[in-house]
Amino acid sequence: MRTLMPHAKSESKMDKKDQLFVINEMCEMRNCSKCIYLEAKKKQDLYMWLSNVPRGPSAKFLVENLHTMSELKMTGNCLKGSRPLLSFDQEFDKEAHWSLIKELLIQTFSTPNHHPKSQPFFDHVYTFSIADNRIWFRNYQILEEDGSLAEIGPRFVLNPIRIFEGSFGGPTLFQNPHYVSPNDLRHLMRKRGAQKYMSRIQAKKSLEMRRGQPSYETDPTDDVFVTIRPEDAEEDS
Amino acid sequence: MDLDESFSSESSVDSDEELQEAFAAGKLRPGLNLELPASSKTINNTAGLNQTLLTIKKNLPWLERLDVTSKPATTHKDLISQSETDVHDDFKRELRFYCQAQATVLEAIPRLHSMSIPTKRPEDFFAQMAKSDDHMKRVREKLVEKQTAIERSEKAKKLRELRKYGKKVQIEVIQKRQKEKKEMLDAVKKYRKGQKDKLDFLENLPGEKKNSQNKKSADNLRPNKKREFKNKKFGFGGQKKRSKMNTKSSALDMSEFNPNINQKKPGKTGKGKPKPGNKNKRPGKARRQKAKSRKK
Repeated sequence: MRTLMPHAKSESKMDKKDQLFVINEMCEMRNCSKCIYLEAKKKQDLYMWLSNVPRGPSAKFLVENLHTMSELKMTGNCLKGSRPLLSFDQEFDKEAHWSLIKELLIQTFSTPNHHPKSQPFFDHVYTFSIADNRIWFRNYQILEEDGSLAEIGPRFVLNPIRIFEGSFGGPTLFQNPHYVSPNDLRHLMRKRGAQKYMSRIQAKKSLEMRRGQPSYETDPTDDVFVTIRPEDAEEDS
Repeated sequence: MDLDESFSSESSVDSDEELQEAFAAGKLRPGLNLELPASSKTINNTAGLNQTLLTIKKNLPWLERLDVTSKPATTHKDLISQSETDVHDDFKRELRFYCQAQATVLEAIPRLHSMSIPTKRPEDFFAQMAKSDDHMKRVREKLVEKQTAIERSEKAKKLRELRKYGKKVQIEVIQKRQKEKKEMLDAVKKYRKGQKDKLDFLENLPGEKKNSQNKKSADNLRPNKKREFKNKKFGFGGQKKRSKMNTKSSALDMSEFNPNINQKKPGKTGKGKPKPGNKNKRPGKARRQKAKSRKK
């Protein structure tokens, strides 16, 4: 992502033990007003914080389905540092939390005009769309002015977890009800095996209960010596 | 204590009269009506969100932000419909994103042009690209590879089809010829036995014989390469007799020298020659007898 944003100043590795508000200080030192903080947990889950540094709101996302620029199926290419066009889905205007996220995204991703490291032409466009309560990000190269596009990297899906009022902290403004943490997901998957066994046991128990008691005692040897009278036997033949 | 108050308030809600009132009002649904605690998962402070939005909103001219909100609107619109897109249908989903990006481009470029800002990169503008040239080369190679693989498989398929078809045609032609021959012989027999006076069956001889003879040229009548080689080596019996004369030319002849046999050290092939096949798999007589007796 850094190659795409010329107005980015990078701080590659950070604290593990320090608190999150240290990031605020670092940003102030570097004179930045927006921050993207990527953190990886358990070598499996990637979280992204998007924050307006001095005291503005911040949002935490879970990054899913990440494909980097170096994948060979992405055939497009763009100038390093050219300003991107940003394209948003109409769903962003429908709810308050999406609009807030939209504003944060605009301010973070758009390169300022006449930035010294930016290139003057417009040859790529970022799309942010909402599907399944997640934000899908794609980056396309503009091949022709009439709209033919080729995909450049990267592509990812952001699942919003919470939006906070302060930068990297503060009261929660929004919590996503559809979000299931990856730990919970893994927990559920593992539980499914146990579920099969438990439901089988329960089914057996309920069968026992439903079977009911025999109404009276019968002796199976009662009809061993049953003899049919010859008059009745003739009816059958 | 707060807890006690909340409990008492709950019990008052559950009292009979209030339940009856609620039922009359149609608020209750069938089933056990329990008062669930408000789910703590959802916090949607809309007012707070809107307020923060106002505070951070920067009213910059569009040129600074370059954002466009668009609906996917292009020629592919009939293929996608907003409400039905299933997230797991990859093709439709990506198509929707593509169309959205296209709509944005179609809106933004004219706008930039109206502000007289050049959008297209001129041919002589060389600058560093996001992906290195090396990377792009690899991408292109991969595409070409895919293309050739497809072409190869197509060719193989066509060849197979052709062979099948050719075989069919061959069988048909042979059968036709056999039929014609039979008819001809029957007609001749009939004529000989005096049933037919006219010799008109001789007129309708298949004129294709001339064309087919062109096909049966010397090249096509030669046997298989394999057959030819075997003929040369083993045919006519006596060919071998004169091939072992010790003349100068035969001594200098190296065509029957195989370096793989005569120049390499006897390694694996030397050991592999006595086939370790049957003898190792089948145990010897004594072993077999023992096994037999043990079984019983």
